[in-house]
Amino acid sequence: MTAAALLVGLLTAAGVFLVLRGSQLRLIIGFILLGHAVNVLLLSAGVLRWRVPAFADGGLDRADPLPQAFTLTAIVISFGITIYLLGLLRTGGAEASVIEPDPADDDGPTNRPTEVRDRDET
Amino acid sequence: MILAFVLAWQVGLAATVPALSRRLGRNVGYPLAAGYAVAAALLLTRLPAILDDDVVQISWRWLPSLDVSAALRMDALSLIFALVVLGVGGLIMAYTPRYLSGSGQHITLYVSLTLFAGAMLGLVFANDLLLLFVFWELTSILSFVLIGQNQPAATRPAVHALLVTSGGGLALLAGFVILMVSLGTSDISRILAQPERLASGPAAAASALILLAVFTKSAQVPFHFWLPGAMIAITPVSAYLHAATMVKAGIYLAMRFSALFGDRRPWSIALIGVGLATAVLGAFLALRQHDLKALLAYSTVSQLGLLIGVIGVGTPESDAAAILYTVAHALFKATLFMLVGIIDHEAGSRDLRELSGLRREMPVTSTMTALAAMSLAGLPPTIGFVGKEAIFEALSEAPGGVWLSWTGTALAVLASVLTFAYAARLVYGVFAGPPRQRGLYEPSWSFLAPAAVAAVAATVAGPLVGLLGPLVVRAANNARPQGEPAELAFWHGFTVALLLSALTVVFGMLLFTFRTRTDRMFLEAPTARPFVSYFDRGYGWLLGFGDRVAAMARAEGPAPFLIMPLLAVLLLGAAATALVGPVSRPPGSLTRPGDLVVLALLVMVIGGLVVARSLLATISLTGLVGLILSVWFVTVGAPDVAVTLLLVEVLTTIVMMLVLRQRPGEPVRRERARPSGAAAVLAAGVGVIAAAGTAALTGRRELSLPARYYLERAEPVTGGHNIVNVILVDFRALDTLGEAVVLSVVALGLAAVLDTAGATGRARAGPPDADLVFGFAYRVLAPVMLLISAYLFARGHEEVGGGFIGALVAGTAVGLGHLAHAGSSVPPLGWLRGRPLLVSGLLLSLTVGLAPVVVGRPFLAPGKLPLPGPLSLSSGVLFDLGVYLMVLALVVSAVRRLGSPGGRRTEAPS
Repeated sequence: MTAAALLVGLLTAAGVFLVLRGSQLRLIIGFILLGHAVNVLLLSAGVLRWRVPAFADGGLDRADPLPQAFTLTAIVISFGITIYLLGLLRTGGAEASVIEPDPADDDGPTNRPTEVRDRDET
Repeated sequence: MILAFVLAWQVGLAATVPALSRRLGRNVGYPLAAGYAVAAALLLTRLPAILDDDVVQISWRWLPSLDVSAALRMDALSLIFALVVLGVGGLIMAYTPRYLSGSGQHITLYVSLTLFAGAMLGLVFANDLLLLFVFWELTSILSFVLIGQNQPAATRPAVHALLVTSGGGLALLAGFVILMVSLGTSDISRILAQPERLASGPAAAASALILLAVFTKSAQVPFHFWLPGAMIAITPVSAYLHAATMVKAGIYLAMRFSALFGDRRPWSIALIGVGLATAVLGAFLALRQHDLKALLAYSTVSQLGLLIGVIGVGTPESDAAAILYTVAHALFKATLFMLVGIIDHEAGSRDLRELSGLRREMPVTSTMTALAAMSLAGLPPTIGFVGKEAIFEALSEAPGGVWLSWTGTALAVLASVLTFAYAARLVYGVFAGPPRQRGLYEPSWSFLAPAAVAAVAATVAGPLVGLLGPLVVRAANNARPQGEPAELAFWHGFTVALLLSALTVVFGMLLFTFRTRTDRMFLEAPTARPFVSYFDRGYGWLLGFGDRVAAMARAEGPAPFLIMPLLAVLLLGAAATALVGPVSRPPGSLTRPGDLVVLALLVMVIGGLVVARSLLATISLTGLVGLILSVWFVTVGAPDVAVTLLLVEVLTTIVMMLVLRQRPGEPVRRERARPSGAAAVLAAGVGVIAAAGTAALTGRRELSLPARYYLERAEPVTGGHNIVNVILVDFRALDTLGEAVVLSVVALGLAAVLDTAGATGRARAGPPDADLVFGFAYRVLAPVMLLISAYLFARGHEEVGGGFIGALVAGTAVGLGHLAHAGSSVPPLGWLRGRPLLVSGLLLSLTVGLAPVVVGRPFLAPGKLPLPGPLSLSSGVLFDLGVYLMVLALVVSAVRRLGSPGGRRTEAPS
């Protein structure tokens, strides 16, 4: 078992756990961790025996540049989605504060949307 | 060519409706009627050729890979149906203006009706199975539109009509596919010309499916219920679609495909059985109605049944009878509908129990109604009489055994007796008796004229049936090429048919005379529950089933959705372990000591993250995970990835702070704690599988061919030194473009979500520039960061950097400004605006991509832009600039929208 594999396992387990825990912010953080896990997986697909940065200077014992390009793309895409999820979180929080502007309300901001929606339906 | 022209002509007429309607209002029907007449006249110019047993046809290649062509073909059968469509259509168009009220929207009605006529023409002209199917469905859809127009109460009947007829349409498609697969062509005339080529298996399946389409479209038992429901549409629609034309599409289809299936006994038996049963049941139900439109609807069901039954007989005479009676029925039934519309309009009711004695005030209307009703009842001298005589004769001489011909004839006579009775009730009930209403007047001649023309035509066509003869005979021969039927004649002499007609009249008169007694009997007769309720129950059951299936995917949080795929991962892992077994150790050492340090650090940080209860701690630890990983990325030789991840982490943290800073220090969650044991077990299992999969599937190969190519050739080909960046902007630029577009979509999506949801966070207390430290840091750092951003971008081709990284640095400066100046009305770096950046970035990238296309090279092919002097600009750099702008656009709009307290709206929440 290589260190990279253990990293993937660790990040995946933590990501899955957080995603399953219900609150919106934890869902987003779980998503970020799962993204990290995939990035590590992509890089280790490039065989981590070669670790010299891939700059063109004639040598062939360089890190595989193609998985790195993929990883870079993946990072930026998951950044975009994270931002979007945060936007949704923001909307949910705003909805709650519009409907119930009571500052003494004790609930954290993250679990509000589902509660508000429940109340609307009943 | 003329066929295509007529179709285009109908579409063109529909297109002129809005413009004409602005000037003419509801009177736009008159020019449309003239347009229909022109189309009919155009088709009639080919009448001599058609009578000469010629056909008019044209064909374009449509889907050559499937050997499907847009082929149109007109023979005598098509011509007759087309003339019915255009003739009755023209009358209806001339009738509609006076029927409609002066105000209101008529454009949709006229456009739909005109398009519908075009679709019907296409249906009868189509010479390709797929084309026929398309027009078939078009008529169903337009019927749905026309039934459901402008009335909430019409929704249910319209949906019934659509479900039944388009359900039949699906059966039709399936039947056609069977034909196409087993015969290898979709050319209708070729398929019909050689019925013996079709094997009996496919023939049985295809004929059953096509019959289903016929029965649904022509409202045969048990699918008849949609037609009375469709009467909620306005009268012109009922008269045109649901009496004269659309329901005749089934008749046309049955006649057309009789050439293919007519020799098979089940086809005939099904047509005769279902048709005559429908004829009797429909007439019986019509006799029980008080609403004139409902009466006419059930009458239509019954008469269609008679037609279907006669088609099943399959002799030249029966085909001629069916064609003649189709024309007759279209004429007199459309007339009756128009007249009932007039009565409804003038007397304010169409209930037989309320109407009485209208003959005094409305003598012309009465006469016309009586003429049309005579046709319906089959009294001489009308065309209805001639048609019904022909039907009786065809049925009584049906091949296939005495019992069949006798049963068929008896049923047809029974249906006709009932028909006579309700036709008499209609005329007598409305026009005879004492007048109950005062102040009724004959409608204006312009309202009455279209119906009068049709009523008179239906009457005089009886004696003049010899004129129609040659065309009908030719059409019967088109339907089934089996020899010429006898010429049609008004007077056949004293035949069996005449005797049957006389019987019909006698029994019909008896039924009518003793109506008080028979009515009670009819109304008390036990009937099965209306078919519509069975249909509704089945439909409801189907929807309920769909609901139960969908319930699995409808859950409160994401967890229920994710359980299935996560369990699938476990299952896959277990299966792989069991099937593959142990794998070999990878050659060489893949792990360095530094990796273990990183691993140990991450174990601690992630452990803290999982149990953290404070918002601030959660966000910081998340950022820390990213930082540690980016350090690791540097050690594995991926500096670009590391820098990108670092910047992304910084920006993510900033945006999270912007979103969540309303309540720093509060616990992340204090909601009902969900049981975490199961989640932990599942997470651990998936983690183990992921680790095992990574270990088993990576690290065992030599340098890949693409890697070798990039390492050796990247610099000579592109002139760039940083291979990862070169891959992004030169070799795989299309990927990168797609990725940048995804980011643009996210930026636009954020705008949509936040602007529509009214992202009104709570207003911040305190002065705008509360944060002294951040404010100072921002003022010092922002210019430096922008410079660094430009520098990193510019050197991207050579060293670590590039569009992504540069834009993220600039975005960080913007985000920092928002953290520092939260609540200030003037956004920091306000000249950077999301949408202009987005648009310019996208345009730049696309221009760079398309420029090579102009000179004939592939999309995004690399090139050099000459600059003055010895310099030149690589297209990759320009492309990278586009990416830079798009990424920056995302960051700027995210920070602006998520960061400003009120989103766009600054007023108080309401």
